[in-house]
Amino acid sequence: MAEQPAIDPMHQFMVQKLIELPSFQIGGLTFDMSITNSVTSMLAGAALLILFFALTAKGKIVPDRGQAVAEAIYNIVDRTLVTPIIGHHGKPYIPYLLGLFCTIFVLNLMGVVLSIGSLFGLTLTFTVTSQLAITGTLAVLTFFSVFILGFIKHGPKFLTLFWIPGMHPIGSALMVLIEMISYFVRPLTLALRLFGNMMGGHVVLSLFGSFVVALGIVGLSGGLATAAFIPSVLSFAMIVGLTGLELVVALLQAFVFTALATVYLNEVVNFGHGH
Amino acid sequence: MAMQTQEDHGAHATVEAGHEAGPAATHEGTEHAGGHESSGLPQFDFAWWPGQILWFLIIFGIVLIFMRLFAAPKVGGTIEGREDHIAGQIADARRMKDEADAKAQQAIAEMASARAASQKVASDARAKAGAEAAARLAEEEAKLAATSAQAEARIAKARDAAMTHVASIAADTADAIVSRLTGKAVSAAELAKARG
Repeated sequence: MAEQPAIDPMHQFMVQKLIELPSFQIGGLTFDMSITNSVTSMLAGAALLILFFALTAKGKIVPDRGQAVAEAIYNIVDRTLVTPIIGHHGKPYIPYLLGLFCTIFVLNLMGVVLSIGSLFGLTLTFTVTSQLAITGTLAVLTFFSVFILGFIKHGPKFLTLFWIPGMHPIGSALMVLIEMISYFVRPLTLALRLFGNMMGGHVVLSLFGSFVVALGIVGLSGGLATAAFIPSVLSFAMIVGLTGLELVVALLQAFVFTALATVYLNEVVNFGHGH
Repeated sequence: MAMQTQEDHGAHATVEAGHEAGPAATHEGTEHAGGHESSGLPQFDFAWWPGQILWFLIIFGIVLIFMRLFAAPKVGGTIEGREDHIAGQIADARRMKDEADAKAQQAIAEMASARAASQKVASDARAKAGAEAAARLAEEEAKLAATSAQAEARIAKARDAAMTHVASIAADTADAIVSRLTGKAVSAAELAKARG
């Protein structure tokens, strides 16, 4: 039993240094710029994205398969989110939202499709979007970009976003407090939703993966223990099913993040029209 | 380096029943590593955060620039171009159909006027031919009438002549019969009286 692999579903989330690079300090923070498994995954994801669009965006009137996929992805952002939610004034924000959607989607997808690598304890792959540091960065970046854009477009008047007209002054003051809390909790919910979804799925996958191997090894010892093959095989079936589910989650979470960013952006772009 | 971490991890896993030993071993170069060993999730090992976030911002920035400068305008432009193209083609087709309809209408009108003209020509020709035929017929009939009038006059003259002959023949015959029966000649006055 000493040879049995340890069941450690959290191991896959560990950042590991691959190439040592110099670090530097700013205000007590140490920026370790070493190439880690996280950085290689980000680089691979960005390279995949750029390669994909560079190869498929050919501008043909009658699209081939690759171009049709690229246009479908573009239309997820444009036709299902920006145009219906914001309208035509939303066009300038499509590049950011497209970048947001594609980045989250490709990083989610890489985590699911290549997750077989973590089964054997080897860190061939790394789910970048299961890192709170990254989902937090995306959420804070998106939230504050939108918030600052509100001030750039509308000035201090933008703060009336929290004010609900036509109420008793005391009730209104109370509502401002509630509105502000619900507004500024947005980056937190954005970050935790993506982080939790991606981590949870991968933990479950990893656990069932460990069961397949652990119970399989028990089953190999013969005799009554052979029955352990049954849960081993069932665990494998679970992995197959859950992987399908995780593929859906990968797309859905990218979509949800982008959709919420679009809704937040809409409050700024159509400020004063929707209330 | 990854493999080394792996070995560290494997060696400590059964003894310490946790994964903290792995990052601790690899984080020797970073100053915050030691302080977060008690944290449950590897994601909360804040020593990795600044570098990871900075790398992510750089890479995400590159992706955004790529989307802004190439992907979004190219793909969006293609879709809009296609929609404009299709709309243009439909408008062209609609305009061509209208033109064709107008031309067809015009052709129908021309056909009708041509038919009317040809009918007029035909009826004119028919009328002219009819008039000519009638005139010739009248002429022939007049000629024929003249001829038959002459003939009738000739016949009447011949009959009158014949009728005068008949009277004298009858008188002669009666004279002959009477003179044979009575043996005496009959005078012309008596004959005329007998004929009454």
